[in-house]
Amino acid sequence: MVEIATLFEVTVTGIGLGAVYALVAIGFSLIYKVTGVLNFAQGQLALLGAYLVVVLSTPLLISLELPASVAIVVTLLFGLVLGVVLERVIFRHFIGEPVLSVIIVTLALGGIITGGIRFLIGPQYRAYPEALRPDWSLSLPFGVDLSASFTLGVILSLVVVTALMLFFRYTVIGSILRAGASDQQAAMVLGISIERTILLAWALSISITSIGGLLFAMSAGGAGFTIEAVGILIFAAVVFGGLDSIPGAFIGALVVGLLQQLGAFYAEPILGPGVGQVLPMAFLLVVILVKPYGLFGTERIERL
Amino acid sequence: MLPNERSDRDEPTDAEPADAEPADAEPTDAEPADAEPADAEPTDAEPADAEPAGGGRLMPCGEYFTSYADRMGLVRWRIEKVALVLAIPIPLLLPLLLGGGALSMVTRIFIFIIAVLGLHVILGYAGEIVLAQGAFMAIGAYASTRIVAETGAGLIPGMLVGGLLTAAVAVLFGLPSWRVKGFYIAISTLALQFIALWFFENNELAFIHGGSQQNIPRDVGLVGEYVTISSATEQYFFVFAVMALFVLLTLNLSRTGIARIFRGIHENDLSSAVLGIDVFRNKLLAYAIGGFMIGVAGSLYSLYIGFISPDYFTIELTLEHYVMLLLGGMGRVWGVVLGVSLVTIVQDEIRELLLTYAADATALEPLFFGVLIIVVLAVEPKGLLAGLGQIKDYLRKWPYAY
Repeated sequence: MVEIATLFEVTVTGIGLGAVYALVAIGFSLIYKVTGVLNFAQGQLALLGAYLVVVLSTPLLISLELPASVAIVVTLLFGLVLGVVLERVIFRHFIGEPVLSVIIVTLALGGIITGGIRFLIGPQYRAYPEALRPDWSLSLPFGVDLSASFTLGVILSLVVVTALMLFFRYTVIGSILRAGASDQQAAMVLGISIERTILLAWALSISITSIGGLLFAMSAGGAGFTIEAVGILIFAAVVFGGLDSIPGAFIGALVVGLLQQLGAFYAEPILGPGVGQVLPMAFLLVVILVKPYGLFGTERIERL
Repeated sequence: MLPNERSDRDEPTDAEPADAEPADAEPTDAEPADAEPADAEPTDAEPADAEPAGGGRLMPCGEYFTSYADRMGLVRWRIEKVALVLAIPIPLLLPLLLGGGALSMVTRIFIFIIAVLGLHVILGYAGEIVLAQGAFMAIGAYASTRIVAETGAGLIPGMLVGGLLTAAVAVLFGLPSWRVKGFYIAISTLALQFIALWFFENNELAFIHGGSQQNIPRDVGLVGEYVTISSATEQYFFVFAVMALFVLLTLNLSRTGIARIFRGIHENDLSSAVLGIDVFRNKLLAYAIGGFMIGVAGSLYSLYIGFISPDYFTIELTLEHYVMLLLGGMGRVWGVVLGVSLVTIVQDEIRELLLTYAADATALEPLFFGVLIIVVLAVEPKGLLAGLGQIKDYLRKWPYAY
């Protein structure tokens, strides 16, 4: 017998988790939409964001010990800079290269980030400072509490999705980004600097991804290598939502979070530990088979 | 970068008519044993694949083909025949010359050559991006271990079952190619990688895979109890024989209609479909052939390590094999041999070097490979083989370059 209160709790946690995934997924969609790069290193970028906060705010590695809020701001700025650097140093060389090259490059980038972090910090879990482990929680009906990091995740991802949609629709830069996404050559003819457009997309995307990684780490109380798995899970989200749709990524991520929590709660006693993470993968396969362009994705029509 | 731009890729090696197929001309089946692939370079007598379009092929002086069979032969040029004769004894003598560690490394090179050849059939010929190398090898390894340990049927039946099972799974996960292509396949096979790792790590499903961590029985026979493989040298020869078989098979595959169809699909699947090729069926065929080879490599790998655990079959393995394939040069068997040998040797050297500095410096290995692969893709996307071909072309025309 499924208890309503338990079901509600699992659902709420799933949505909270999904909202955190949503930030990483939005980062992915943003890059894909504007540049066409499928970023397989999304999980590692989130990991980088999560660890950077630890490094900045605790005596680990460098003894800076910034206050938590400053550490977060620095991490976000670092995300912006990293986006610019990655685009300039790596991805610029791969514009127009076959899709295989781009995929392998992002995979390699993931390997580089993981290897670097593993070497500098080690494979251990690193706890977050007190200030980043909020102990409040949101009380919901049925006596269910949503933990602070998930609450923040829901709020932040809603804010980010709304802001991005408004940004794309109502600002000049947003419409430039859209123009670049829909037809690069036509946009260039109209005097748009595609270079700057792509740069902006990378910077925004990695910054948003770092927020996701940070919140995910907060929900676990600290940064660990489990965050890497997010990079794979969000594929289920973005494919379901349609690869190039930002609201699609958001909805897809919520579905993935829900699936993971429900799977973890109801299927794990039967199928063993870890089902929660595998269920979204199975879901991904079904989506690819049944509706490869997802909910809101642009369908590509091929002609000879 | 968009999926429909895949056809834009400019890869002369793949577009080449099979009768001029450079990779065919290699006596590679004997050569790769050479632990230093650079030695064997002069043997590739065919002109570089990076030949300017429209230019005639450079043939060695004073050699003529008098029959069709000669023209189509696997070993065509005089220098190739010489190289073949000279190279055949090398792998047979290696166990006498090399110590235990080096021999073990060469064995690993052979195993990875089989695995990367499988990837090469799927990716180099058919152009499907499969990111489940680790999962495929794991399936082969666990399946063959179960056959060997529980039925006592011997290594070869174990390998065959492992290979066939892997082929079946590869085909199953190739089914999305019915509707989608390009990176969707990459994503779905990446999902397979994670599902497979979870599956093998999960001891509650041990009734299927037989336990997450297992030891491979020692002294197993090839078939039943006959011809037991026990020492490292015996293992070396067995792996070498299998590898030679698969290299020969792949070389010959590239000369048949099947591989031409694969290449057609790789170049432009829409045109292939218009020309009456059943694209879906042939893609699945590529998955099956490649999957079989990767599965066999997986079962050999389990024999080689003597112990299986999901940790050996992670996404890092996939990435490593991609480094090997792309470094050597995609689309050619010889490139696979070169890439695997080079990467494995360099990897071993680097590991030793890193260990002298710090115990945890091995974490830098993926970093090194990541940087390497990005540089290779940025500088010479066709791999080392194409670069070497250019050097050879230059030398051949020197000093009267036109």
